[in-house]
Amino acid sequence: MNFAQVLNGIALGSLLMILSSGLSMIYGLRGVTNFAHGALYMSGAYVAYSVSTNVSFWLALVVAPLVLAVLGALLELVFFRRLQHRSHIETGLVTFGIAMVIERVIVLIWGERTLGVSAPAGLDGSTSVLGVGYPTYRLFVIGVALALALALVLWIRRSVTGLHIRAASTDVETAAILGINVDKVSLIVVCVGAALAGLAGTLAAPYVSVSPSMGVSILVTVLIVVVIGGAGSIGGAMVAGMGLGIVQTVGAIWLPSVAVLVPYAALVAVLLWRPAGLAGRKA
Amino acid sequence: MSTPGSISPVEAGPADAPTVPGPPRYGGLSGMVARHLRPAPATGLTRPLVLRGALFALVLLGAGLAVPYIVLDRFWIGTLFDGLILAMLALSIGFLARHLGLISLGHTAFFGGSAYALGIAVTQWGWSPLPAALFGVLAGTVLSVVMGLLVVRASGMGFLMLTLALGQALYQFSVQQVAIPWTGAYDGLQIPFEGDFLGYTPREMMAGGVFWPVVWIPLVLLALVLWLVGRSRFGTVMEGVRENEERMRFSGFNTFRPRLIAFVLSGFVASVAGVLFALNAAYVSPDTLGFLKAGDALTAAIIGGLGFLAGPLVGGMLYIVAQSEFNAGGNLHLYMGIVLIVVLMFLPGGIVGMVVRGARRILRRRSGPSAPDGPAGLEDRAKDPFVDEPAAIDPQEVAR
Repeated sequence: MNFAQVLNGIALGSLLMILSSGLSMIYGLRGVTNFAHGALYMSGAYVAYSVSTNVSFWLALVVAPLVLAVLGALLELVFFRRLQHRSHIETGLVTFGIAMVIERVIVLIWGERTLGVSAPAGLDGSTSVLGVGYPTYRLFVIGVALALALALVLWIRRSVTGLHIRAASTDVETAAILGINVDKVSLIVVCVGAALAGLAGTLAAPYVSVSPSMGVSILVTVLIVVVIGGAGSIGGAMVAGMGLGIVQTVGAIWLPSVAVLVPYAALVAVLLWRPAGLAGRKA
Repeated sequence: MSTPGSISPVEAGPADAPTVPGPPRYGGLSGMVARHLRPAPATGLTRPLVLRGALFALVLLGAGLAVPYIVLDRFWIGTLFDGLILAMLALSIGFLARHLGLISLGHTAFFGGSAYALGIAVTQWGWSPLPAALFGVLAGTVLSVVMGLLVVRASGMGFLMLTLALGQALYQFSVQQVAIPWTGAYDGLQIPFEGDFLGYTPREMMAGGVFWPVVWIPLVLLALVLWLVGRSRFGTVMEGVRENEERMRFSGFNTFRPRLIAFVLSGFVASVAGVLFALNAAYVSPDTLGFLKAGDALTAAIIGGLGFLAGPLVGGMLYIVAQSEFNAGGNLHLYMGIVLIVVLMFLPGGIVGMVVRGARRILRRRSGPSAPDGPAGLEDRAKDPFVDEPAAIDPQEVAR
C-alpha cells in the first residue's frame, strides 16, 4: 500500500477534524446546523491569501482566525441569539442564506478566479518519512491539527469554560438556572467554532486551490462527518473526521469510482444503525 | 427577547408575554409550521370542496393558457417557462414541508434522475420522446420509493441530512468515470430527439412559448391533486403525524405509510418537472442533481411561503424572474440570500403568507369586529403562545 496516500488521508482527515469539531460545538450549544461553516472556511482561505501574499503566511495563520472569530461573533449576536427559540431547521435555513451571501461577497471582493497560495519558506520542500518523500507542508498541517485537537479536548474537558460549555450543551435551561451565563458561553463557542473554520481554511489554502466553490464542496462532507460522529459530540466528530478522511483517500486507490460514495454510504449505514450517530446522546 | 441565561420567575409574568419560552427547541420544523404556516385544516373531501377546487383550477388553467398570447417577447416567455419548471419542483418540496414538516434537500435526485433517465432512454436505446418521457417519470418515481424507504423514518435535521446526502451521492456518482458513457460526467448529456412529443417537434419543444401548455396543464392538475390530497382524510392523518408523530403511533396509526406515500407523491411531481425540463432543454447536466439546484428550489419555496400551496409556485416564478434580472452581475445568490434571511427572520409565512395576512386584516376591518370568525387565521395563531397544541384528531373518525 502506498504510504504517502495514507498520509494524504490523515491530512484530509485533519482538516475535516478541525472543521467538524467547530461545527459540532456550535450545533451542540446553539442547536444551529451551521450551513455557513463551509463559507467561513472559504473566507479564512481568502483572508489567508491576502495576508500571505502581502505580508507572510505566519501572520495569516493568526489574522484569519481572528477575522473569522469577529464574523462568528456577529453571526451569534445578530442571528443565532434572536433565533434561539425557533426550530433547528429554521435557524439552519437562515445560515443557508448567510452562506449564499458570504459566498457572493467573497466573489465581489476577490473575484471568481482560482487563487494559489504558496507554502511558506522552510515548509515548501519535502521530508522523508519512513523512506518515502512527502511534502513537508502537509506534515505541518497534520501536526497543527493534532495539536489543535489535543488542545481543544483539554480545553473542553479540563477548563471551567469547558465545563460550562458541556453543561450548556447538555441542557441550556438547567445550566442557566445553575448560574452559568449561557449567552457568554455561546458567544465564546461560536467565535471559537468560526475561528477554527478560518484556521482550517488558512491551513488548506496552500494545498487546495482557493476558489469560491471550495466552501460548498467541503460543507456536505463536514455535515456528514458531524452526523456520523453524533451531532454535538466533539470527540465523535474528530474520530469520524479522521476516519472518513483516511477511508476516502485510501479507498480512492483501489476503487476510485466508489470511494466518493463512501461518506454517503457511511452516513446511511450509521443513521440506520444508530440514529443519533456514533457518539450521539439524543435521538 | 429573553434568553435562557436570564429566565427568572419574575420575568415569566403575563406583563412580559414575549419572554414565555417558545415551542420546544427540539421541535423540528413542526414548530415553524405550527406557529406561522399551518395550512387550512384537512376536512375530508366533500363534494362542494372538490367542485370548488376543480372550478378554481379550471379558471386558472384557462388564464394560464392565455399567457403565451400576452407575453410575446421570446426572452420573457422563456424566462417564465423556466419559472414554471422551478415552481413545479418547489411545489413538490413545499408539499412535504406543509403537510409533514419535512424539509428535503434531495429532491433534485428525482428531478435530475428522471431527466437523466429520459436522456439515457433516448441516447442509448433510441427511444422516441414520449415513451422516454414516461420512462423518465417512472424511473424518478421508483427512485423516490427506494429513497423514501430509507429516509422517511427520520425527521427534522435527520431527514434534511439524509436527503441531502443521498442526493449528493447521486450527483457524485453521475460525474464519475464509470458513468461517462451514460451521463457524460461534467459535460452533461445532449439529447437529440427523433420524432415528436404529443405533436410537438423537437424544435417546438425548445420554444417556451409554444411548449407552454405541456407544462402549465400538468402543473395546475398536479397542484389540484396535491391540494385535494392535503384536504382529504389522508391529509388529516398527515397533519397528525406532523404535529405529534409519537402520539399518532400510540393512537394506533401506522405513521410510516403516510410519510412514504407523501414522499413518493412529491417525488413523482419532482420527476414530472425533471422530464419537462429535459424535453425543453434537450440537455441534462450534473447541475440538475446538485446541491445548489436543491437550494434554489427550497429557497424559492420558502420565499414564496411554505404554508400555502401557492407559495412555492409564486416563489419559483419570482426566483426565475429575479435570476434573469440580477444574474448578469452574478449576484442572484447575494440578493436571494438576503431575502431568504429576511423572510425567515421576519416573515416566516413568506410572501404569500404576508399577502394573505394583509388581506385578512383588511377584510376583518371592513366587516367590523362582530364578523363571524372564519377558519382560524394566521394572526390568531401568532398571538397564541401555546399553539404547539396539536390539532385535535379523533382517530376513530379518521379511521372510519
